[in-house]
Amino acid sequence: MIEVQNLTKRYGNYLAVDNISFEAQPGEILGLLGPNGAGKTTTMRVLTGFLPPNGGKISIAGFDVMTDSMQVRRQVGYMPERIPIYPDMTVEGYVTFWAKLRGVTRPRKRVAEVLEQVQLYDRRRSLVRNLSKGMRQRLGLAQALVHDPKVVILDEPTIGIDPQQVIEVRESVRQLGQNHTVLFSTHILSEAEQVCDRVIIINKGHIVAQGRPSDLRQQLQPEVSVYVQVGGGSEAEISTLLRQVPGVNGIEAQGAGYSLRAQKGVDIRPHIFDKVTKAGYKLLEMRPVAMTLEDIFLDIVGR
Amino acid sequence: MWIIFRREIGQYFASPVAYLIAFAYLLLTGLVFNNDLTSSLTIRPADPAVVPTFLSFGMVFFAPVLTMRMLAEESREGTLELLLTAPVRDSDIVFGKFLSAWFYYTVLLLLTIVYPILLLSTTPNLPDLGHFIAAYIGIWLYGGATLAVGLMFSSLTENQIVAAFLSTSALLLLYLGNLAGDIVADINLANLIRKLTLGGHFSPSFAYGLVRAEDVAYFAGIIVIMLFISIRVVESRRWR
Repeated sequence: MIEVQNLTKRYGNYLAVDNISFEAQPGEILGLLGPNGAGKTTTMRVLTGFLPPNGGKISIAGFDVMTDSMQVRRQVGYMPERIPIYPDMTVEGYVTFWAKLRGVTRPRKRVAEVLEQVQLYDRRRSLVRNLSKGMRQRLGLAQALVHDPKVVILDEPTIGIDPQQVIEVRESVRQLGQNHTVLFSTHILSEAEQVCDRVIIINKGHIVAQGRPSDLRQQLQPEVSVYVQVGGGSEAEISTLLRQVPGVNGIEAQGAGYSLRAQKGVDIRPHIFDKVTKAGYKLLEMRPVAMTLEDIFLDIVGR
Repeated sequence: MWIIFRREIGQYFASPVAYLIAFAYLLLTGLVFNNDLTSSLTIRPADPAVVPTFLSFGMVFFAPVLTMRMLAEESREGTLELLLTAPVRDSDIVFGKFLSAWFYYTVLLLLTIVYPILLLSTTPNLPDLGHFIAAYIGIWLYGGATLAVGLMFSSLTENQIVAAFLSTSALLLLYLGNLAGDIVADINLANLIRKLTLGGHFSPSFAYGLVRAEDVAYFAGIIVIMLFISIRVVESRRWR
């Protein structure tokens, strides 16, 4: 549905996006993850037909963004980071304007539907300038969905709204994924993990990793961690003991216990159990610590 | 294009600023007409082109205020970005806005037709209708040209005030250039200057009831050039 090959974009001398390539299948929710300034918004703007790329071949639903820009725009719904508003229009008027502009055939009916979908139907006669931030987000979403596009592109849809609304937006994105291909950008990693089918991690204009969140974790997690809490001995004794567990690369004090790092593929838990119990100590707690996408991200971006 | 046209018209009729402008416009034109009418009782014959002649000066100030927000606001609010991702041509955006401004101006102009009608009712003989018609056609085109200039400056900036300031300055230059033509000694240079100004294509011809092809072409040319520049500026937003 979305095919990006060798996309490059420069602003003057500044290289914002450097030769990136990725794909999105129909119905997939793709997350674009990266720190500020990584190139997320630029990439999205190219995909929506707003910015022409300096290089590369990009097509959406089979239409090339350079040669068939109008068709691409019909297939794409875009919600920019800052929801643009016409303050003096009503909610209904605003969405109807965009509906007509995008070629919706029965605007009234469709507008009512989409307002229901984003739960703004009872505010349809309010002026846009009187809406709260969360409602404006929903208005932005309504505008992006009104022409029922195949691809929906959302730029940081969960920024700046309260936690309850964040949950609602994430849920909406999940639901959207059922009927549309969704591309959204974020720098909140747990969000990408929760909502996306696949994640693309982008930093300084390059793709540094891509894949399913679970795959990424497996692929990129350099070590396995186990958290252990042992009782019945002094700190010195326990830490010395734990260091001797076969397969352990390193040990760190963490909270009330220790975090043991081991090589991938080695399950040190039985070894820990043996060592601790044979020495007569009490094993109070033992649990594996999964490296979150956050850790992976910080690790990769830090490199 | 018409969708944008309709929205802009709605904005004009809903916006307090537009009504203020309309108020000032109608007030001033009314005063001008009244003045002329009273002086026509004793001093001199009524000038059928008095209102248009006033407007040729007035539009230097009205046009920027009517058009200053059109593109500047879109780019400042971020709606221009959204418009540029809609399946609408850049030229449609500019044309839609220009036509809506011109339409609003035409409505205001038609409201002042009441003055010539009043004039007709005061005289026993029919005054020169051709004079009226020519003057109104002239000021209609003139207005279109000034609005196009205003729109062009609005496209260049995100700040409405800057847009208004720049357009007013440009229009003043084009209007006062006429006076420069009076000062300059060399007759050929003076004529050249006059041919470049807005006033130079209105006062000697339309104000006297004369419709000349060269004047129509001048105004049409200004409109075309200004709109062309505006479209290019809007397009250039994609490259920034």
